[in-house]
Amino acid sequence: MSAPRTVVLELTRMEAAHLAGLVTQFAELLEDAESASGDPAIARLVPDAYSDDAEAAQDFRDMTEGDLLERRRQDAGAVLGSLSEAAALPEEAEPDDEVLMELVELRLDTESLQAWLRCLAAIRLVLATRLGIRSEEDHDVDDPRFGIYEWLGYRLDGLVQAAYDDR
Amino acid sequence: MMTMPATPDVDEHVDIHEQEQTVRPWQTVVWNDPVNLMSYVTHVFREYFGFDRAHAERLMLAVHHEGHAVVSEGAREQMELHAQAMHDYGLWATIRQAPQ
Repeated sequence: MSAPRTVVLELTRMEAAHLAGLVTQFAELLEDAESASGDPAIARLVPDAYSDDAEAAQDFRDMTEGDLLERRRQDAGAVLGSLSEAAALPEEAEPDDEVLMELVELRLDTESLQAWLRCLAAIRLVLATRLGIRSEEDHDVDDPRFGIYEWLGYRLDGLVQAAYDDR
Repeated sequence: MMTMPATPDVDEHVDIHEQEQTVRPWQTVVWNDPVNLMSYVTHVFREYFGFDRAHAERLMLAVHHEGHAVVSEGAREQMELHAQAMHDYGLWATIRQAPQ
């Protein structure tokens, strides 16, 4: 096994700010989520572990749901922590300000890389539920949320590739 | 001339059948979903199970093409730990007893 290592992620301040906004929304969603009941997006993060035994599925859920949702919160916090400096835009920045296109480098150690991977994957699951994605072909070019979904996938894939040096 | 007693034969058959029942192992099954990236699923299998790249990719492709794959087999408690770990990565995993 070749363990994921430290990676350097390069992105613009604008992209960092967008990402931080998205992760903040994810964290807020998790804040309100005491359990999977009610929100299918949260339910996707804590799926049934037994498909033909409702009682065993409930027991498993009682045992694991709290930890799983807490981990999502911690991951979101870790990602926001590593983004905070890059995503901080000057108050007076105009939409076409050069500072938005300034490239910043984020150095992610093994632990924070793991949090990033899990967090981006989890946000994609939430977005996919909201977008009603049921197959890999589902796409609506007129819906900008698909663009965000694809962009998260691009970033997630890049981080996974960077984590391994055997490619 | 040899004779075989009939009754023990029947008993033996029953015993073997019961034994098969008790040793059916539990399995952790990972299911295909349209969201998780192939590269990410491979990463999860490599990192969590410690599989080498080729093994992890074979398993990922099995999930992708066949809809699901058994990623581990053994005691129920262990399979529950694996399923929870898969959920922690965002993969969809279930626990079941090995089909007969």
